[in-house]
Amino acid sequence: MLDDLPVLSLIVLAPLLGALIVLALPSARSNWLRITAIIFTLIPFILTLWLFADYQPAVGGGAYTEHSTWLSIPLNQEQFNASVTSLKLVFDYHLAVDGISLPLLLLTGVVSTMSALASVHIRKRWKTYYSLFLLLLTGIYGVFLARDLVLFFIFFEVTLIPMFFLIGIWGYYGREKAATRFLIYNGLGSAAMLLSFLILIATLGFSAVEGAGGVNLLFGGNYDTILSNLSNPAAYANVDNDLTHQFGLYLNDQTKWTAFVLLLIAFGIKVPIFPFHTWMLRVHTEAPPPVVMIHSGILLKMGVYGLIRFAMFLFPEQLHAWTGVIAVLGVINILYGAILACVQTEFKLVLAYSSISHMGIVLLGIASLEEVGLQGAIYQSVSHGLISALLFLIVGSIYERTNTTQLSELGGLARSVPFISGVLLLGGLASLGLPGLSGFVGEFLSFLGMFGSMKIVTAIGVLGILFAAVYVLRSILNITYGSLPEQYVGMKDARFIEALPMITLAALIILLGVYPSILTDLMQHGFSGFLEQIHTRMGG
Amino acid sequence: MDNTFFAEYAWLVPLFPFIAFAVLTAMGKGLKKTGAWIGTIASFLSLVLSLCIAGERLSGNAPDYGNQMDWITIGKLKLVAGFEVTNLSTLMLVVVTLVAFLVNLYSQGYMKKDERISTFFAYVALFTSSMLGLVLSDNLLTFYIFWELVGVCSFLLVGFWYQKPEAKAAAKKAFIVTRIGDLGLLIGLLLLFWYMPGHALDFTTLHNVYDTQSGAISTGITTLIALLIFVGAVGKSGQFPLHVWLPDAMEGPTPISALIHAATMVAAGVFLVVRTFDIFEASQVAMNTVAIVGAFTAIFAATIGLAQNDIKRILAYSTVSQLGYMMLALGVGSVTGAMFHLFTHAFFKALLFLGAGSVIHSVHTQDIREMGGLGRKMKITAWTFGLGSLALSGIPPFSGFWSKDAILTAALDKQPILFVVAVIAAFFTALYMARLFFLVFAGKPREGQHAKESSSVMTIPLIVLAVLATVSGFVETPFNGWLGHWLFPEGAEHDASGLVMVVSAAVGLLGLYIGWLTFVKGTIRRNAISDRAPGLVTLVARKYYIDELYHVLFVRPLQGLGKVLDLFDDYVIDGVVRLTGHGASALGRLNSRLQGGQVQTYALTALISIVILVVAIAGRRFW
Amino acid sequence: MSMLSSYLTLAAVLFCIGLYGVLTKRNAIIVLLSIELMLNAVNLNLIAFSKYGVQPSLAGQIFSLFTISVAAAEAAVGIAVLIVLYRGRASVNVDEFDELRG
Repeated sequence: MLDDLPVLSLIVLAPLLGALIVLALPSARSNWLRITAIIFTLIPFILTLWLFADYQPAVGGGAYTEHSTWLSIPLNQEQFNASVTSLKLVFDYHLAVDGISLPLLLLTGVVSTMSALASVHIRKRWKTYYSLFLLLLTGIYGVFLARDLVLFFIFFEVTLIPMFFLIGIWGYYGREKAATRFLIYNGLGSAAMLLSFLILIATLGFSAVEGAGGVNLLFGGNYDTILSNLSNPAAYANVDNDLTHQFGLYLNDQTKWTAFVLLLIAFGIKVPIFPFHTWMLRVHTEAPPPVVMIHSGILLKMGVYGLIRFAMFLFPEQLHAWTGVIAVLGVINILYGAILACVQTEFKLVLAYSSISHMGIVLLGIASLEEVGLQGAIYQSVSHGLISALLFLIVGSIYERTNTTQLSELGGLARSVPFISGVLLLGGLASLGLPGLSGFVGEFLSFLGMFGSMKIVTAIGVLGILFAAVYVLRSILNITYGSLPEQYVGMKDARFIEALPMITLAALIILLGVYPSILTDLMQHGFSGFLEQIHTRMGG
Repeated sequence: MDNTFFAEYAWLVPLFPFIAFAVLTAMGKGLKKTGAWIGTIASFLSLVLSLCIAGERLSGNAPDYGNQMDWITIGKLKLVAGFEVTNLSTLMLVVVTLVAFLVNLYSQGYMKKDERISTFFAYVALFTSSMLGLVLSDNLLTFYIFWELVGVCSFLLVGFWYQKPEAKAAAKKAFIVTRIGDLGLLIGLLLLFWYMPGHALDFTTLHNVYDTQSGAISTGITTLIALLIFVGAVGKSGQFPLHVWLPDAMEGPTPISALIHAATMVAAGVFLVVRTFDIFEASQVAMNTVAIVGAFTAIFAATIGLAQNDIKRILAYSTVSQLGYMMLALGVGSVTGAMFHLFTHAFFKALLFLGAGSVIHSVHTQDIREMGGLGRKMKITAWTFGLGSLALSGIPPFSGFWSKDAILTAALDKQPILFVVAVIAAFFTALYMARLFFLVFAGKPREGQHAKESSSVMTIPLIVLAVLATVSGFVETPFNGWLGHWLFPEGAEHDASGLVMVVSAAVGLLGLYIGWLTFVKGTIRRNAISDRAPGLVTLVARKYYIDELYHVLFVRPLQGLGKVLDLFDDYVIDGVVRLTGHGASALGRLNSRLQGGQVQTYALTALISIVILVVAIAGRRFW
Repeated sequence: MSMLSSYLTLAAVLFCIGLYGVLTKRNAIIVLLSIELMLNAVNLNLIAFSKYGVQPSLAGQIFSLFTISVAAAEAAVGIAVLIVLYRGRASVNVDEFDELRG
């Protein structure tokens, strides 16, 4: 029934349509705006769920691929020999899904819906808020689905602008600075990404199609073309001769490294990798909680996704040569984030540093270049997305009641708001990697993968889970245990609209902790082809 | 009837309490008294099923039963979750469910007035379920998962009275200190995963690898793995140097101390070593480490126990000390001795804690100096507590005597020095138990204390446990090695040694006698030692300043490091960021000054630029 | 050849004097006059090359005629602008005008 629908396009465009509808609604009707926004976050969520139900790992996402030419610019072909009939610059509208992006799509669906529900805390300018919110979603879905470099870049940029305003308008006191910092850092990242993409398109985005009158040459950003050109030894980019030099098609090692390092920086800022992390602390502390849910829950994972999709899949040799570097960076992230989280006095900063620590585990998983580790990296991303969304949801609820997130001013909340405190404790336990909750599986798989190749480095990284216990317990017990300050007596526990996303996220965290196969089976064939390929390339 | 009829349903044993936990959590506070019964009934069902399984296996010829499912499949790797019913796990099942049921029953009375009683029973149910899962696990990964879960339940229950700052601190400490051990276990597990043939983590394969394919894993790695696993056991079982959390954990409700911190969870460390004993046996270094740590902990904790005044803390140090005995037994190769002591200790220590709870419930203090003469007012408590004390002190024919005897015999056989240490520890054990018992139950009643016997729901568990503490030793005596044969059919024989029996009984009796002389008769003055060596007494009373030492050695430096890194983050890393920002805007200001609207400045700039350009182009020729 | 170089030297000297005047003088009229000097230096070059260049032709002289006429027009417009400015500000000092400031 649904088979003929362009599901992926619907997922991407539904929020955009929602944004337009929100813009058309009268701004005084806050409830209409709210409901419209929730509906239009639900639509892509339901579609991703449907994808999930229908997805067959062995087949991959081939059935859903949407591919059409989006922009085609004819270029002068006379510089080539006579057999070339046309030369075109072609940018594709190419959406596809596979075992790597599907878990992240699901995460996006869940977290965005919960964030839309949590947006009840937003108190001003709903219309602008919801339209930006929905625009942001379009960007995120697009990033996870796009398979054309230019399209990917555009969607990536689309996420920046709404985020800038969401932080800058609805944030706390330091919001403008945080927003500027966000924009500048990510702008730098985008610049690096663009440069790298241009190198890739110029050298690898080259394909020849035999036409009626001769050969049609196409230049474009098609990911599949680039990937196959890279791994094909006969492709122009890999042939070192006069012809390829003349047209600048040859991709030498130095350029490869440049492109790889640029990608690493571009996505490393997003992840964030130490020392590019300070912008993210500001965003965590200054942005409104529902926006941080999206930011910490999904946007950071765009960095992970980019690292895997571009840096790793395109440049496995370079990554392989640098596994040591990345593993060490990962360990630094883990320990640096964890130790700093232990001494923060502001709960949001504890969570921000803990995010840095958790993303270090993802890096370890990627550096392993083992199927276990890679799946662990994705798993950890999804799990951290859910956990940090849950924790920031609770931060929002606590702030609404107490007007503070300073640890020194909070205490004993278990007495007045037992439900919120209980869920907070659950989230904290998940964050410190308690088995039975999702955090453990991701950490365990990542460590397991990495342990195969680098035992000592990983063992040092494992120390991070000890510090995780310290900072989680220190901060959460400080908030919920102890005696209740007088001014917080008689607070109301969570309303239904707050409890609903909390329960949903908590249930998913438990589900993923108890039954991880639900995600790992999806990813089953996501990496195997790649790994076989690099093993033959490395082995040869 | 099939020999594995009940064993096939062993997965139900942990499921009952888990259902109780789920129901209690979902229903919330509304349940109150009903909630308590839900928990109790669930643990009763588990007990019944465990007894059925035990009955089925008592004959000794029932085959082991196991069942696995794939938990995570990644490529060719499979992570498996599974359970396994062997005689060893059956023994543990019975111990855990029995103590859990009795504690549930007891808590009906003890926690009656607490407003969060259903939460309490929910946590207890979750703990019971996890502990049973741990016992049934057939591989190290599943074991680790439940291992962490029992840890978190312990944390939740220690911090049950969350408004007390001490409870909060103790809960945090319990979790973090045991996590250090868990870290060791996790790294050991990861190592094992990569070194085991076929990445198998189940105990059967482990056994086979070390039994038949000796050399599959090199000795160095084996030692490393064994030591890492032992770190896990040290953390959980409160062995030196990670023992510090266990006495603090007494901030939790007393039934919890009996269930978790005496009978079951803390023994999980011993159980872990037993399950992975093949690895330990393959490495003499690891065995010696286990033995020495165990013996040292036994005597170390026993001395601290002598100088404490909190009834629960004395028992806590006693637990640490007895767990040291079990480790010692393992280190000298006597798995049977360790399991046997675990078995008897579970009963008499749970009995002692529940008895202490009954006392605390009645007099509302934990300081033994404020108690006295309770024997007349609380007859059942006093009698059962006395039986427990005798068992713990190793007086024949109570259970503790037989199990301690097994350990001492093995120690004498392998490491005579450790035997001496253990004997001295046994003397201290008897001494501090005598002190505890006589100070609490003998002497004159305090004025103004209206102690009265606890309700029957609390005394019945005491009586049951007292009976078990008395008779459970007869399953394995020097004259009858039934337990050892049942648990480990191929295992070692229990050597009888008349000397050990005499020595062990004598030091026990001597300890009790000196205690009686000091605290009842007054022949020996109570402060005979503290007058002569006040420093020594303070040292022991302050637990050898281990907590303070850790604070200075680990907590402070870490805090300092955190602060330094915080400054580093703020000033260096963020400083560079700010510097870049300021640099860019300074450059901007400089440029905007050039754009002053003065045509002549523009022209000058243009001129200078052209000159530079010309010089650069011309200059290129020369190099 | 020596003729060419002496012409070029003269032109360079003229140009530099003009440039100096443009850059340093405050009076706008003198600035305009200096610009004329620079233009004339260019004219001199054009004529010199048209006579003594590698391929002598009349094109250079014709160009210089163009330049002279364009310079005349430019001077006229410049003076007109100056007069307007003088009416507004009562000054012809260049450094008092910064309307170009962004």
